[in-house]
Amino acid sequence: MKPLLLLALLTPLIAADHRIEDIPLPEGVPPEVGGLDFAPDGSLFVVLRRGDVFKATPTDDPRDFDWQLFATGFHNGCGIDAVSPSKIRVTQMAELTEAEDTDDDGAADRYRRLAHGWGLSGNYHETNTLVPDGRDGYYLSIGTASHNGPTFEHTLGDYSKFGRRGRNFSAVKWRGWVLHYGPDGELTPFASGFRMHNGLHLDPEGRLWSSDNQGDWKATTPLYHIEKGNFYGHPSSLVWDPEWPDDKDPLSTYRDDLDAYNEHRTRPAIQIPHRGVNRSGSEILTIPDGFGRFAGQMILLDNNGTRITRLMVEEVGGAMQGACLHFIDGEGLRSGNNRARFSPDGRQLYIGQTTRGWGKLAEGLQRITAGDPVFEVETISLTPKGFRLELTADLAAGDPSGIGVSSFTYQSRWTYGSPMENKRDHKITVGGSGPTLDLAVEGLEAGRVYEIRLPELASKDRGKLRHRTLYYTANRLRE
Amino acid sequence: MRRLLILLAGCGVLDASPLTLDNLPLGEEARPLLLRTYVPDPGLSKEVFAHHHDADSSPKYTPKTGRDIKGRYQPIPGIPAAVAVNHGPALSYAFDTTECRLLYAWQGGFLDMFPYWGDPDRGNRRSFGYVPSLVGTVFHQASGAPPLELDGRPVAELGDPDYLGYDLDEQGVPTFRYRFGEHRFSLRVAPLDDRPFSCRLTFRSESPGRLGYRGQEETVFDRGVLVVNLRGKALSEHSGFPRKMAIDRPTAAAGETLFANYGCIACHSTDGSDGHGPSLAGLFGKERPLTGGTTVKADDAYLRESIKDPNARTAEGFPPNYMPPYPLKDKEVESLVLFIKSLRDR
Repeated sequence: MKPLLLLALLTPLIAADHRIEDIPLPEGVPPEVGGLDFAPDGSLFVVLRRGDVFKATPTDDPRDFDWQLFATGFHNGCGIDAVSPSKIRVTQMAELTEAEDTDDDGAADRYRRLAHGWGLSGNYHETNTLVPDGRDGYYLSIGTASHNGPTFEHTLGDYSKFGRRGRNFSAVKWRGWVLHYGPDGELTPFASGFRMHNGLHLDPEGRLWSSDNQGDWKATTPLYHIEKGNFYGHPSSLVWDPEWPDDKDPLSTYRDDLDAYNEHRTRPAIQIPHRGVNRSGSEILTIPDGFGRFAGQMILLDNNGTRITRLMVEEVGGAMQGACLHFIDGEGLRSGNNRARFSPDGRQLYIGQTTRGWGKLAEGLQRITAGDPVFEVETISLTPKGFRLELTADLAAGDPSGIGVSSFTYQSRWTYGSPMENKRDHKITVGGSGPTLDLAVEGLEAGRVYEIRLPELASKDRGKLRHRTLYYTANRLRE
Repeated sequence: MRRLLILLAGCGVLDASPLTLDNLPLGEEARPLLLRTYVPDPGLSKEVFAHHHDADSSPKYTPKTGRDIKGRYQPIPGIPAAVAVNHGPALSYAFDTTECRLLYAWQGGFLDMFPYWGDPDRGNRRSFGYVPSLVGTVFHQASGAPPLELDGRPVAELGDPDYLGYDLDEQGVPTFRYRFGEHRFSLRVAPLDDRPFSCRLTFRSESPGRLGYRGQEETVFDRGVLVVNLRGKALSEHSGFPRKMAIDRPTAAAGETLFANYGCIACHSTDGSDGHGPSLAGLFGKERPLTGGTTVKADDAYLRESIKDPNARTAEGFPPNYMPPYPLKDKEVESLVLFIKSLRDR
């Protein structure tokens, strides 16, 4: 296309930002939000890490919530499904528990262990969460232990000396796994190789996703498309894989043979630069129609930054891959973003935050209301020659020939995170018109992450382009 | 302290207050507090953990090289999946969901959650000693196989324990439900009159047959209900977690203890491996690159500043405003500096 020969950017119109509000919990209550969920009637349940569960009917004024103590006594409850206004299910350290108010006095009185069978070594790091499978069962994520804490002398469940090795470890059963819990009560191992997959998501098309926490064997923050039987890269969990030999230490095996490791593991659909975009991925959600922006795309919370990441996935060559960029960067968002739910009407995003025990405190509950439409990259997709970007409005000012593209690789290994390696810059040619930018990229190769840096661009009535750096993980190229 | 609120005036239904930042939570005699948490092990015998598994020591390891280093991690005492219940100063007890039995009971306090929940201003758990500490006098400890019997047979012979859950009555008193094999039982524990070191256990069975209780306790069995009046004696005294560290003069050893107590290792490794903050190994005396392109020598003054006012200068490659300030006493700061100095050669 002809470069846009506008000498100056148009005066940007300021589109209203997201509105981010604090929602106070009752006075004196530590708002360490392990999980939250809306019941079908719209009431909001919040489970706090010390053990209490509060319930409220949301109001326009965030200070007017009628918080009631609904249940107590959960050990670091980090996943919650509000089945009905009087019944919740909570993953705590040792089990999935159902708590029900059977006498209609507003407080749960019947607590039943619904699922168990994963171990608990006594390490502080072994938290769990859940996502309903849509068929009256759940997928459960069973987090690993950290070498910054011990195990107990007596563990819940089998103990593995090889599983105990390493930085984050899996000394007891199913740590580092996704399990499936069926309504018949059966617990089935589903996928392995996770470190701290603190958030599972089943998208409207029935695909299961998680992120993980950058660290050992996690080069950077990943987005995984989880399929049954796959191994996602953290070796310690393999000690519980019936097909893994009992006398083989997975940690040293793969430390000494990264080729075999790479052969075995399923790579992330998207690799998310951990400093630039998301330091610690937690909850993933699909944006609903009501929110006003990017419906159908996914967001990923950052538990360790004042950020939320937007994810754009597509299927290429039979596997999922795609791009990430900021959805919210600052704007008054707290850090510690741990769990989130869209309100039943889809218009607001409720976010529960906690970091207690890990860095600076960032505890609380916030909600986000989308503002006016803004000028953003709406979608990016891989083409045979490069990338096609669709913007949310016609490009009206700025010179897209200033777009920069570079690429790099990551190799997960035993180190706590891995650097960007094999960096290179790519020459590009820019085409397209209106809201479309077509990038032809020289030297496009599979297996690399592409950093696309957009210059200052502006639209006619949606202001300047908001978030200008995105990263596309090209696991495969288009034919 | 958990206070009572009258939720529904006239109905007499009592509602509990929520947990707060208070690390010494307490229930009331009539309305207990139920807490699921890691529970301290007051020294129970191995037989009590019949359905647990044994952990072992494990070689220390560094993610820097992916290899073992000198020393071994030792497992610590603690109970992973018990429920702790407190009726105020009158009674505390721990019921285990794995063994399905009362593990121990104590009086005069509950749990000091400071090691696990941390200082309210910082929320930092103690790194290798985060099990809550007991407060009060332990007067009963389980030993051997579970004492409950059905028609003269110990429940352990009926099959493996299988925890089902619990129900709360109007005062929030739990009745625990569990099975041994196919036989279902329940247990309710409550304070027993005003006598010290006592509590009342009420067992029920859904199976026909006579319940019995091994031991010398006073028991009454009537219409499927077995009541056991458990009277113990002072077995051990506990006063919670010792908060204050008396430091006569700053030492590296005191610094190491503070480093553990404040959970610093969650972000700062001592072996050179990367983390969420800079490693302290080999740091002292080095030129340290800062955000903004300048450098600083990591000397005593810089380390002091980094502890007291960590956001004054940010080490290159790390985010700003990430570490909270630690307003410690001078002797504590000096001890930490000495500890960091001692890591210079690692």
